[in-house]
Amino acid sequence: MNVLVTYPERCVGCRICEQWCSWKHEGQVNPTKSRIRVHRVHSKYLNIPVTCMQCAKSPCIAACREGALRKDSATGAVIVDEEKCIGCRRCVRACPYGAVAIDKDKRIVLICDLCGGEPQCVAHCREGAIEYVSLAVADRGHRAAYVETVVATMAAETKDGIKATGEGGCQ
Amino acid sequence: MALKGLAGKILRVNLTSGSITKEPTPDDVFAGYIGARGVGAYLLLKELKAHTDPLGPDNKLIFLTGPVEGTLAPGANKITVTFRSPLTGTYSFSLCGGHLAPEVKFAGYDGIIIEGRADRPVYLWIDDDRVSLKDASHLWGKLTHATEDAIRAELKDDAIRVACIGPAGEKLSRFACIQSDYHREFGRGGAGAVMGAKNLKAIAVRGTGSVEVADPEALEALTEKVYGILAANLKARARRYYGTPEMVDGTNGLGYWGTRNFSTGYFEEGHNINAANMKEKIFVGSMSCYACPIACGKVSLIRSGPYAGTMIEGPEFESTGLLGANCGVSDLEALVKVVEICDIYGLDTMSAGAVASLAMECYEKGIITKEDTGGLELNFGNGEALVALMEKIARREGIGDLFAEGAKRAAEKLGVPELAMQVKGQEFATYEPRGCKGMGLGYAISPKGAHHMIAPTMGPETAGDGSKRFEYKGKAALVRETQFLMAVVDSLSLCSSMRFALGLKEQVELYRAVTGLSLDETGALSLGEKITNLERLFNLREGFDRKDDYLPSRMLKEKMPTGPSQGHLVELDPMLDEYYDLMGWDRQGRPTAAKLAELGLAELWQEVK
Repeated sequence: MNVLVTYPERCVGCRICEQWCSWKHEGQVNPTKSRIRVHRVHSKYLNIPVTCMQCAKSPCIAACREGALRKDSATGAVIVDEEKCIGCRRCVRACPYGAVAIDKDKRIVLICDLCGGEPQCVAHCREGAIEYVSLAVADRGHRAAYVETVVATMAAETKDGIKATGEGGCQ
Repeated sequence: MALKGLAGKILRVNLTSGSITKEPTPDDVFAGYIGARGVGAYLLLKELKAHTDPLGPDNKLIFLTGPVEGTLAPGANKITVTFRSPLTGTYSFSLCGGHLAPEVKFAGYDGIIIEGRADRPVYLWIDDDRVSLKDASHLWGKLTHATEDAIRAELKDDAIRVACIGPAGEKLSRFACIQSDYHREFGRGGAGAVMGAKNLKAIAVRGTGSVEVADPEALEALTEKVYGILAANLKARARRYYGTPEMVDGTNGLGYWGTRNFSTGYFEEGHNINAANMKEKIFVGSMSCYACPIACGKVSLIRSGPYAGTMIEGPEFESTGLLGANCGVSDLEALVKVVEICDIYGLDTMSAGAVASLAMECYEKGIITKEDTGGLELNFGNGEALVALMEKIARREGIGDLFAEGAKRAAEKLGVPELAMQVKGQEFATYEPRGCKGMGLGYAISPKGAHHMIAPTMGPETAGDGSKRFEYKGKAALVRETQFLMAVVDSLSLCSSMRFALGLKEQVELYRAVTGLSLDETGALSLGEKITNLERLFNLREGFDRKDDYLPSRMLKEKMPTGPSQGHLVELDPMLDEYYDLMGWDRQGRPTAAKLAELGLAELWQEVK
């Protein structure tokens, strides 16, 4: 099973992912109907893609009183039963990542369905800011990045001896 | 006829009466002039009385999108504003990227027409079909970034798109721009001053709708194709990696990069402000406009020195040229700082650079002194003084008040009109006409003054060994054709960078897929010609003709002193004659009756004349 991994530091805010998400699902380009949203923090020059993380214990499913949400056994995506969903927005509030939105016309929630295993946002992101990788290896990148930091720190320490803190004080 | 791709409504806001109306989008005008720039030219000519005061209540700001905005189309993110320019007195238009255009379309509008003058500062709040004017007294005087932030906070939505003016627009600097998304702007021609004169601080938009397209399958296939071409195209890849400054080395290397107020075309310290150096020293990331697979916007951060902590999107190539080379400034950190000042106060960086370089030349020649400048040693190359001067201009303090009027007016007041590098009052873009003849002709005949994107011929002119740029043969024809092509791409409202992948053929395919209208390449070019003539007619009505299609005497009489284009001048008159002939205009630059009849403009011209 694969999961989505986002890399905010790579995102440039073109919102092509939003375009293709709403285009493939709704036949129209409309950011408010996209299951992935890019949030721009202007003052910090940041663009953050926000979408479903396929949590192992989905708080959205737990929050739903109508039994409208379930996990697809093949893809692990949260699937919304449009008949059962009453648009109460409990799942919107339960999601720790702000990844659930509401379709303003249909009045039901929008959650990433992984496009049945071929996420269009991933297919069209030129920046590599969203990846679709196996759950077993999804977090290796973070581990590798952490290890790199450790290696760099150790290298610096070997070169300079133990680094001074640069702070004055306590003798 | 209900045109696909359009939102269907135009918003008309009269600031004098406070009336807000929604009109059906004139489909026939969109079909006849494509959109944005073309429709803007038509509406301005039709709606504006001759000799309207650019800073009076009767001038209009006509914001328009194109038919492909808000669809899947790649790079569809430009919104145009058309107005009579306070800088030139001519027809003018300016394009802004970022995320404003699709938001307007999603809100349900193809355009926004602003007329009249509010009696106190206001801002326009477009929340889908709910539109209102809100008090902006508390925002007046605020810098552009702070204004955007304040409006988003006030309306409690971080995703709202804002276009606003800064203090420069409020104080009617003639080259004030309208700023959006922090670092995207309606730059040239002084639209910010028109907005300031109308007491309109900002336009805030939230859109939640969508537009329908005629042929979704065709649009999807074409979009995928364009992504593929752009990913492989070397020029697009350079733009993606380095941003627009990728052009620095090429332009400087051939010696057609305006340097020290266009006294020459080669900047010997160019390598300090080229793309490679920016990439190494200051770039920290990228920012993209909506729907763009290139993402040429580069974020720069100054890490140390007096300007430490300064962060901007840019500097763009034109800013680098005009505030850098043209001011003799190779200090990258000062360049970033001065761009920031322009952006937060709302000044067009291009005109700002040309104005500052004029000030510097005047200072070096003793026309203005240290006493006039308030102690600034305004020698070419003094980045610190450039930063200080720009703050004065932005606030209209001391000598800044004079230069906020633009290069032409300032030079006339100083008694040295020949030192202002401008056409019709619009300051030069960064290309040096003596080193690239077609660009010279393009500046001269441009309806909005010396702007480089009316006929950007530099590509074909510098292809191969680069020597074609000195030739005169074929330049009039090249300018003419490029002008028509640009009229099409601007009217479609595509970013001009999309031309790396979208030739006229693909643009026409895109237009057909979105609108369902049949249009072929010949038809598109003739619409380009029609739009070009329409713009000419507006200027003719205002009294502009051949006498205004000129370049400053430096370009015509002083041989370029240094660099790879050394020894060259521009022989403009023969090129002008040839251009007019090809256009079917008389030798005064007026479209002949036969040409107007051929283009179907005779009746309109009779009506508005």
